[in-house]
Formats: sequence, structure tokens, C-alpha cells
Amino acid sequence: MYHISKILAIALIVFLTGCSIGGEKKIKIFSIEKPRENLDYPMPTALELEQIKWIIITSENAEEVFAKLEAAGIDPVLFGLTDKDFQILAKNFAQIRQKLQETTNLLEEYKKYYETDENSN
Amino acid sequence: MFGQLRMIITLIIIMGIAGAGMYVFKLRADNATLKANQFKLETAITEQNKVLEQQKADFEAILESNKKLNILIQTFKKDLDDLDKRFTKKNRDVGKLAIDRTKAVEKVINKGAKNAARCLELASGAEHTEEELKATKKSEINPECPALANPSYVPY
Repeated sequence: MYHISKILAIALIVFLTGCSIGGEKKIKIFSIEKPRENLDYPMPTALELEQIKWIIITSENAEEVFAKLEAAGIDPVLFGLTDKDFQILAKNFAQIRQKLQETTNLLEEYKKYYETDENSN
Repeated sequence: MFGQLRMIITLIIIMGIAGAGMYVFKLRADNATLKANQFKLETAITEQNKVLEQQKADFEAILESNKKLNILIQTFKKDLDDLDKRFTKKNRDVGKLAIDRTKAVEKVINKGAKNAARCLELASGAEHTEEELKATKKSEINPECPALANPSYVPY
């Protein structure tokens, strides 16, 4: 009788604690840092400009110039600029070119800074 | 009486041994914790050093980039001044010159326009030609944008 109650007690203990032997597996949460994707746009295509021809027209050569135009089958009409306006146009173009160059350089510098291996991680 | 005393002493000894054993286990556990802490601290220091190095490298890259852009802006100013000088050097009057030497000035202006157009192409990212990169003399370089036409050109 004494043995039976001993066995029962042990069985009861095993029954009550059985599920906790070995225990629940712990959940592991991993966090993997994934770098942001590079934008990777190709650089804009370079300009390929067509050439224009400047014609200087003075009061002395005007007739000759228009005659040449007509002979070449070109409409005898010219869009004119004064010498001062020509200088302004040249300077304006130089400024446009510089702005373009500055923007292209900035773009390259940004690309270099943010998209090199050491900075993209 | 004597038997009870012996039992108490035995119990005290057993408890003492058990306590000492537990203390040793505690010390071992503390040691393991301290070792783990040490490892974590060392790892943290290494990571901090890496971050600091990266920050230093970034800062240097920013400085270098700023320097390059400043040089570029200085070059722009010089190019504009040079262009202005070409029109006004020694009280030059382009209008008068064009009246006096129409054909010659027309040729110069067309050449200048061609050079300026090439400068625009280069500024937009066009590849340099071999001829442009080899230019070292004033007569060879594109005078509208020497620094852009050949970055290694040294003006004289």
C-alpha cells in the first residue's frame, strides 16, 4: 500500500511537470539590416548639337549677302543681333554651359558619395 | 544528547559544504556573465571605432567634394572673365571690327560658336576626343572652356 502511494505520488509529479521537461522552445527574432537599393539611373545622354553658321551683315555687304542667299536657294531673310547683343548671347550661353556642368558635377558627386560600396552599406 | 549534537554538527557541515558548493557555482556563473559582458564591450568598441572611421572617411569625402566644386566655380568665373576680355580687350569694339574686317570676324565668330557648342556637349557629359585630351598649347585647346576641354591643361 505504502509502495503504491509512493508510485502514485511520483507518477503525479511526472504527470504535472512532464510538459515542462525540455520546455517550450524559445522564439528567436532576427533583424537583418538590408541596405537601401541604389537608384542606379544611367547618366543623361550627352548633347549632340548641330552647327549653325553666323553671317555678319553690314550696310556695305548687305546686298552681296542677300544675293548669295538667294543664289544658294535660301530665303533671303536674316535674324539679326547687334554686336552688343551678340556679346550678351555669348555670355548667356557660357553661363548656361557652366550651370549644366555644375549640375552634372553635383550629380556625379552625389552618385559617388551615396553609391560607392563603402557608403552604401 | 550526544547523538543529537552529532546530528546538528553533521547537518551544519553538510550545509556548509552545500553553501560552499553553491557559492562556487555562483562565482562560476558570475565569471561567465563577466566574460560575456567583456566580449560584448569589446565588440561594441570595435563597432564604434568602425563607425568613427566611416564618419572620418565621409567627412574627408565631403571636404574633397566641396573643394572640387569650389575650384570648378572659380574656373567658371575665370572663363566668363576671359570671354568678357575677348570682347573688350584694349577697348576692342567688335562691331567696328566686323565692319572693317567682315570676313575675318565672321570666321572667328563661327569658330567660336563651334567651340562653344562643343563646350556645351562636354558639359552635358560627352566623351573627350583624343585630340582634346592631348591639347597642351593655347593654339590646340578649346579657348571657350579650357578646363573642361582638357582637365589636365595648365594655362600659361
